[in-house]
Amino acid sequence: MADRAIGFQYATAAQQREASTLGMWAFLATEVLFFGALIAAYFNYRIYHPQELIAAARHTKLVLGAVNTAVLLTSSACMAMAVNATEAKARRTAALWLVATALLGLLFVGIKGFEYVEEFREELVPALNFDLARYGNVGELFFTWYFAATGLHAVHLLIGITLVLTAATLLAADRLPANLSVRMIALYWHFVDVVWIFLFPLIYLAGRST
Amino acid sequence: MSKTTIWRCWSALMLLLAVTTGSAFLPLGSFNLVVSLAIALAKALIVLLFFMELRGSAGLVRAFAAAGFFWLLIMIVLTGADYWHRTDAPAPIDQIR
Repeated sequence: MADRAIGFQYATAAQQREASTLGMWAFLATEVLFFGALIAAYFNYRIYHPQELIAAARHTKLVLGAVNTAVLLTSSACMAMAVNATEAKARRTAALWLVATALLGLLFVGIKGFEYVEEFREELVPALNFDLARYGNVGELFFTWYFAATGLHAVHLLIGITLVLTAATLLAADRLPANLSVRMIALYWHFVDVVWIFLFPLIYLAGRST
Repeated sequence: MSKTTIWRCWSALMLLLAVTTGSAFLPLGSFNLVVSLAIALAKALIVLLFFMELRGSAGLVRAFAAAGFFWLLIMIVLTGADYWHRTDAPAPIDQIR
């Protein structure tokens, strides 16, 4: 387990855990600002061009977006189960929950990719085949933002999947080093989930009632 | 965190997802955005407090977690104070039509 060995600079395992938790949150605070800037940009667009932006957002695929949200939220629950199993020193159970988390993450990326293909077919991809005459300038603005936001989110998720699978492999072989704890990876994974929780209503729910 | 808590949180998240998706189809005007953001905030708090264990964390960890969001709020308010209240010199974004 991660608590088995501690780094030489720490007196106790509890101290190591507190220090790494604090370090992870310091990193996540920078991530809040990173994605926060994108969300602030969205509000700018929405306040300047309310009608056109809503009209553009209606071209996103609501069903796929909602299913993907459910997939990601479930993956977070699996991740929490992995941490729970790690606490109980159930190594194999923890590894299995990690694999489930990673598979759900991959499913999310797969559905997202399918969505991108659909959008390409509808000529909604700026710089590749955006139909300016049909969707307008604000439409292009929205979809540029959409691909930047969801693309960056997907990159974060792919990093998360790599971390989770690495931890699962090492955990199954009982070779998880002291400086790589399931709990820290879980913090990162849940954070990527929080980002999506805010992106979902802004992208998929805008203008559905009009 | 106990298994029961994890799956209770999951059920709450799924319920909120269904509610927010449904509410998007109600004709509430600009209030639709307020409702969906309020529900997003509730979902984020469930993940932050339970899954990310801020509920039982040390004060310093909570302060670190809050700092990012608080600073973001300052940045958004300052941006909004400029962009959302301009009357004379239009921002570059206003020239897109």
